[in-house]
This record gives sequence, structure tokens and C-alpha cells, in this order.
Amino acid sequence: MNPRPWWTKLGHLSLILLATVYCVFPVYFMLVQSLKTAQEDVFGNPFIVLHPTFESFEELFEGRGEGRGVIGSTLRRAYPFLDWLENTLFVFAGTLAITLSVSLAAAYALGRLRPPGFRWWRRAIFATYVIPQTILFVPLYRVVIVLGLDDSLLALLLVYPTMALPFCVWLLSAYFQHLPREIEESALIEGASRATAFFRIILPMSRPVLVACGIFTLGTAASDFTIASLFLMSGHNQTIPAGLGTMEVALDELAAVAGINLMALPVILICALFARGYVRGLTAAMVEGV
Amino acid sequence: MRRTQRQRDIRTAYLLLSPAVLLLLTVLAYPVGWEVWTSLTSLSPLQEGATAFVGLQNYSQHLEDPQFWRTAAVTVVYAVVTIAAKLALGLGFALLLARPFRGRTLVFLAIFLPWAYPASVSVMGWYWTLNPPIPTAYAAFMGHVKYSVDSAFGGGAWVFVSATLFNIWRGSSFIGVLLLAGINGIPPELFEYALLETKSPWQRFRMVTMPLLKPFLALGAFLSLTSAFSDIANVWMLTAGRIVFPVLGTQAYWLAINGGQFGPASALSLLLVPFLLGALLLLFRLFDSPEREAA
Repeated sequence: MNPRPWWTKLGHLSLILLATVYCVFPVYFMLVQSLKTAQEDVFGNPFIVLHPTFESFEELFEGRGEGRGVIGSTLRRAYPFLDWLENTLFVFAGTLAITLSVSLAAAYALGRLRPPGFRWWRRAIFATYVIPQTILFVPLYRVVIVLGLDDSLLALLLVYPTMALPFCVWLLSAYFQHLPREIEESALIEGASRATAFFRIILPMSRPVLVACGIFTLGTAASDFTIASLFLMSGHNQTIPAGLGTMEVALDELAAVAGINLMALPVILICALFARGYVRGLTAAMVEGV
Repeated sequence: MRRTQRQRDIRTAYLLLSPAVLLLLTVLAYPVGWEVWTSLTSLSPLQEGATAFVGLQNYSQHLEDPQFWRTAAVTVVYAVVTIAAKLALGLGFALLLARPFRGRTLVFLAIFLPWAYPASVSVMGWYWTLNPPIPTAYAAFMGHVKYSVDSAFGGGAWVFVSATLFNIWRGSSFIGVLLLAGINGIPPELFEYALLETKSPWQRFRMVTMPLLKPFLALGAFLSLTSAFSDIANVWMLTAGRIVFPVLGTQAYWLAINGGQFGPASALSLLLVPFLLGALLLLFRLFDSPEREAA
């Protein structure tokens, strides 16, 4: 190929730069705020931090007592951030486990066993996306109360999987459907059970797609604020987003931003680690083997 | 022998499907059924006496209310604007990343970041940055922006714009990565062949890339529709309903929780569903195209 002229290269480069800044700037801005002292937050330059400090982060872990110092005539309360962290981890891990196992089972049934009308099952499950959970608050709350799960993290383990499930079932079953029949057949002829064939052959093959589902599930669970703050009432039962939502931002802006960053960091790291696998899994499920 | 094997497979299939179906029934089907039933009644926790069956009265009441049409218009405009912006930006990102260049991995991670950053908390940072409550260094500037937008388009406009911008920022990242996965799936031979057969990059894009990306575009559009509503619900919840530009879902919640009018609220929620169903049917048309079914 003939070399591209310099203006094309320059255009390409500046577009890349523009895209990167657009994507990263808000995150950078939040990070900078969380590292500021109160003094710098008010008088400093909003875009840079001159005297970075972890004060705001430490504040989150300070004392579980009632008061935490006074601003003006307002008592600042302490936040049970460690509890929030623990709850969030529990909810994310539980959501991942439930979503992946339930969607694997359903997808295997639809993609490999193919009961009559499996296409319609698939469509029906995917079509549940039409109903945003956010219009179902009131009846959802009734379900949660009937099951005795109000103010319990288990309520989230009931709701979050259904938010990611349709996509995961759809993705995995598309992948399973594309796998040629022969893959299992040789194992089945040699007397292995379907279950053995699944765990020995199909499951290892579908790792990239599982990664894609996992990242999608994590992203979905991590994006909910509404349902968590609706169902979790008492402070020590809340997840980080629900808890941060109750913070008095006018007084605790810096601590809140620090909390935002603390929640985001591990999620971003996991996403970054699996980012390539995520793309590969999406491609594998939707394109390969057609 | 074969026949019984098949029957056993079918039974296993239903068994394996049951957890997923059970979850969806409890968390979606039952609530939807409850809303459908309630929307036909005068159910209200504030009301004394028996709940009456009122038929379609709740619906007709909304359809006659100009406020409903304003809300519906806001909902549709919000959905269309965010989807168009997200698809355009996402396509741009995917095309930028399609060809190798130095530092591509880093740029890819940067583009992945807005979606990977948990929206539940980034929406707070975003919201309090654009609508700062206390005298931070940028509060005066943002306040100025807020008041000029609000005075031009009515109270609450800036808050709504912030939520829209947030959804576009986050969604364009998701769609960009999704479309990149689509582009990666296009066999390179096809591009080489296209290089010989077509005259301009634009023609290649239109004749080769676009048709092959169509299912991914449809999927991205549909998934981002769902996220558009959850993002706005997040902002709405965060501000305790201070968005004065309501969309159908949040407006219904307001009616139910503050007004105690479960019937009309349910009717209002369900009036959103036809829009979404239309979008879904369109997706199935585009994605499960007949050629693919035959294969």
C-alpha cells in the first residue's frame, strides 16, 4: 500500500487524542477532586491537584462512632464504609455466580439440547429487556416483602441477575448453537454422559464467552443505584452506591468523591484485565462458526 | 432407543431452563402482571374501602392529559437523541480502533473506561460536578452554565442535559467496544477483496463494514435503550426527583409513591412498553434475518 499523506495521519492522531480525552477526562476530574484538601477544593485550580492527600479516603474508614467533627453548627456523621464495601463485594460475587450458572444452564439447554420451540424461548428471554426494572418498583417491592427480603442484600441477588441474564443467555446460547455437533458426539459415543461432555469439552471451550458474560454482568450490577437505594434501608446493610447516595454531599463532597473512586478502582481493574477477553468473547459468540 | 434419548434431552433441557425462567417469572412476569391488573383498578393505599375495577379509565385519563403527552415527548426525544449520539460516537470509536497503530491497547482501554467505571457511582460524581452544591473552585462557573441553560429552556433543563450527557458518555463506550467486536469478526479476506473491488474508503465502509455491522448496531441500540432508562432513573433517585423533565418511568414512580395512585401510575408505566416493543421487533427483524435462520 502507498503511504498515507501526512494530513490523514494528523487527522487520525487528533481524532484518537480527542476520543481519549473525551473518555478519560471525567474520570480524571473525579480522581483529582478526591485527592484534594478542603482548602484546595475551594480555592485551587479545579483541573489539577498541587498537594495531593489521602485525607478524604482515610475519612471514610474513620471511627464508627456517631459524630465526626462539626462544620458550622452541623454534626457530620460517620459512615460505615467497611460494611458497605463488604456488602458490595458479597452482592457482586453472588450476582456473578448466580447469573453465570443460571445462564449457562439455560443456554446449554437452548443451544445444544434444543427443546421444541427453542428459538422462541431464546427470543422470549431476550425480550424481557423490553421491561426496564425501573418501571416495576412498586410490584417489585411487594415481591421482596413477600419473600421477607426487605432491607436485605438477598433482594439484590434476586433482582440483579435478571438484569444481566437475558443478554448472557442470548450470548452463550448463540455460541453453543454455533459449535458443531461433532464436538460432543465423539465423547458421547465413548460412553461419557452429557454432563461429562459439558464440563470436559464445552465449558473449557466457551471461556472467552463466559468472560464476556461475566464482565457484562459485573458492569450491569455495578451500574445500579436506584434499586439498591430503594431496597436497602439501614446504613450497615447498604452497598457502596446506596450508602454514598445517603451522604450529605454539601458537607462531605470530598469524602463522597473518595468513596466513588474506591468503589470504581477494583471494578475498573477487573474490567481492564479482562477487556481483551471481553471483546474476543463477544466476537466469538456473535460471529464465529456461523 | 434414539427416541427415548431425545425425550430425555428435552426433559433435561426444561430442567436446565427452569432456574432462569423462575427468576424471570418472579422478578419480571409477576410484577408486570400486577401492574397490568392494577392499571385497570383504582388501587391506592390512601383510599378507604374496596378497590374498584375501573377498566381502561386510567389509560384514557392519561391520554387526555397534556402533561402525559409532554412526558411522552420528552421520553421519546431523550431515547432517540441518546441512541443516535451513542451509535455515532461508538461507531467512530470502533473504526478508530479497527486498524493497528502504536498505543492502540491504551486507547482501547481509555475508550472502555466510561462503561467500566461503575455507573452507580460515576453518575454521582458526574451529577455533583455539573450541579455543584457547594463552593468548590468550579461551582461558580457551573452555576452560571446551569442558570443560562435553565433560563433558555425552562427549569430543570440543565439537570436533564447532564443526565443525557452522562448516558451518552457511558453508552458510547459500550457500543464502541461492542462494534469493535463486530469489526474483529469480519474476515480480513473480505476487506482485501473489497479493497480491490471498491474505489473509495467511503464506498468500502458503506458496502462492506456497515452491512456486516448491522446486527451489532441493532443489538447496541437495543441494549442502550435499557441503559438509557436505568441511568435516568439513577439520577432521578439521586436527586430525589428533582428532575423537572420527567420521563414516563420516573413520572409513574412519583405518582405511585408520592401520590399513592397505584392505578394511574401502573397505567403510565405500561404506556412506555409499546415504544420499547416496537424497538425490539425492529431488532429481531434486523438481527435474526432469514438467511441466518436457514444456516
